[in-house]
Amino acid sequence: MQVTSAVPLARDIDRRARADARHDRIFHRVLKFCALLVLATLLGAALSTLWGGREVLFGHGLHFLTSDSWNPVEDDYGALAPIFGTLVTSLIALVIAVPISFGVAIFLTEIAPTWMRGPVSAAIELLAGIPSIIYGMWGLFVFVPFMANIEPALSDTLGNLPLIGKLFQGPPLGLGLLTAGIVLAVMILPFISSVMREVFQTVPTRLKESSYALGSTTWEVLWDIVLPYTRSAVIGGIFLGLGRALGETMAVTFVLGNSYNITASLLMPGTSISSSIANEFNEAVGVHRSALIALGFLLFVVTFVVLLIARLMLHQLAKREGK
Amino acid sequence: MNDLAAAVAAPLASVDGRTKIKVRDVHFYYNGFHALKGVSMDIPEKQVTAIIGPSGCGKSTLLRIFNRIYAIYPKLEAKGSIELDGENILDPGYSMNRLRSKVGMVFQKPVPFPMTIFENVAYGIRHHEKLSKSDMESRVEQALRSSALWDEVKDKLKQNALGLSGGQQQRLCIARAIALKPEVLLLDEPTSALDPIATSRIEQLVEELKSEFTIVIVTHNMQQAARVSDYTAFMYIGELIEFGNTEKIFTKPDKKQTEDYITGRFG
Repeated sequence: MQVTSAVPLARDIDRRARADARHDRIFHRVLKFCALLVLATLLGAALSTLWGGREVLFGHGLHFLTSDSWNPVEDDYGALAPIFGTLVTSLIALVIAVPISFGVAIFLTEIAPTWMRGPVSAAIELLAGIPSIIYGMWGLFVFVPFMANIEPALSDTLGNLPLIGKLFQGPPLGLGLLTAGIVLAVMILPFISSVMREVFQTVPTRLKESSYALGSTTWEVLWDIVLPYTRSAVIGGIFLGLGRALGETMAVTFVLGNSYNITASLLMPGTSISSSIANEFNEAVGVHRSALIALGFLLFVVTFVVLLIARLMLHQLAKREGK
Repeated sequence: MNDLAAAVAAPLASVDGRTKIKVRDVHFYYNGFHALKGVSMDIPEKQVTAIIGPSGCGKSTLLRIFNRIYAIYPKLEAKGSIELDGENILDPGYSMNRLRSKVGMVFQKPVPFPMTIFENVAYGIRHHEKLSKSDMESRVEQALRSSALWDEVKDKLKQNALGLSGGQQQRLCIARAIALKPEVLLLDEPTSALDPIATSRIEQLVEELKSEFTIVIVTHNMQQAARVSDYTAFMYIGELIEFGNTEKIFTKPDKKQTEDYITGRFG
């Protein structure tokens, strides 16, 4: 009785094992397909912008990459001014948003009383949910007049400093690189601070206590222990924010001023890759259109280069710590 | 009559040699929960004192008052007095920096800092003293030698400390603590995450270190307490039940509860 029932049982087990292996194989293929789909989309988008922009990208040698003129009447296009605007506004946004996010994240994980943590975290996440057109409108109608009021004061004070003085000299238009950078900072702050907050929470209590036990102050524990421990995630969060700042369109278009000038002053209007495209796509035909698509391709390149630099930076830091 | 006198005196059982830490009527509250209920004991200098007891008895809590590490959290409160060399460390005027340089602590799990082996040891020293490069190097070497780690790491001081084995990491944590030249070393279940070989190395180290430091070790492992300590305190639900010579506690304890615990009848 036992023997006869054992034989079909063994066969069942065998069949079951083969079915399991087959299911796993199918599952692996589905996963691989999903991952490849992302790659294919990225590659497709990059290649089609490259193709669409071929006329200006390859038509006149390196002219498109080295010129700062933008003249639709004579079909003379150069990408320097939009690239400059994109990088400068994003950099300003990072310079402002990173320290504030750091402060917010530390306060919420280490210092704030428990009852405060929930509401403040929720408020920060709400900030991330505001559409960029709203930021643009708020920027143009509220923030630009405000900046126009304080810019004379900036010129009179910071404008007189050696080295960085040039950055703050100029007419108080309100519109400009600095204004766009600040609006961008507000927009990327929630991303950076919520990543930081989450990773700071993963630091083991004992690690922090060990440092306190050696006499460290709260600042030393955060700067020497918590930050290095979470470094790669923190840098990841910063670059998530930077990625958003580089590509942000609507808010920047509203407050940047749309001028193809490369100026030392942050108070002057400028343009960025995405805002140039948004401003001109409607009326662009022929070479003009090709130039805008080429700008889109350059945004790919800029983002890729920035991410590459981030990787290299992480690698260098890890080497210094003996990893 | 005699029994009563013995009962009152028992927790303060006299110890040979000088008293380093004098604990008097210490109460501790976690968010209102009464975790320690009037603990008093004298911890002798340059001896190993073990604190044993079942989980939740307050042994770690007591240890964490000795360097006031609990103070980094809100809503924790200690009352009573703990005199370190005659000065009450619970006095808000007692400098935290001074306390932490005098009382070092090693935790349950080895937690090296995310930096090189050298920096792990140098880190704490830098907070308290400005040393030249060569002074720092010799200080770090000395700490690593004292914690019996030097020979294993001398060729890889620039490597990340996370590459060490668990036992080595824990000895690094001890090196990090003794690098500040503290007078007291608090060990909070230092071997609970280690294998038997690493454990015995740490125990051996404790034996060597007691010539220089007053050591207080919390352990859930009674054999370990019996092996490494000179004095043993047995705690139960926030109270110190019995304190005395380790040999006496483990062979003929005064209290029934102590006897039940060490013979494994509960806990």
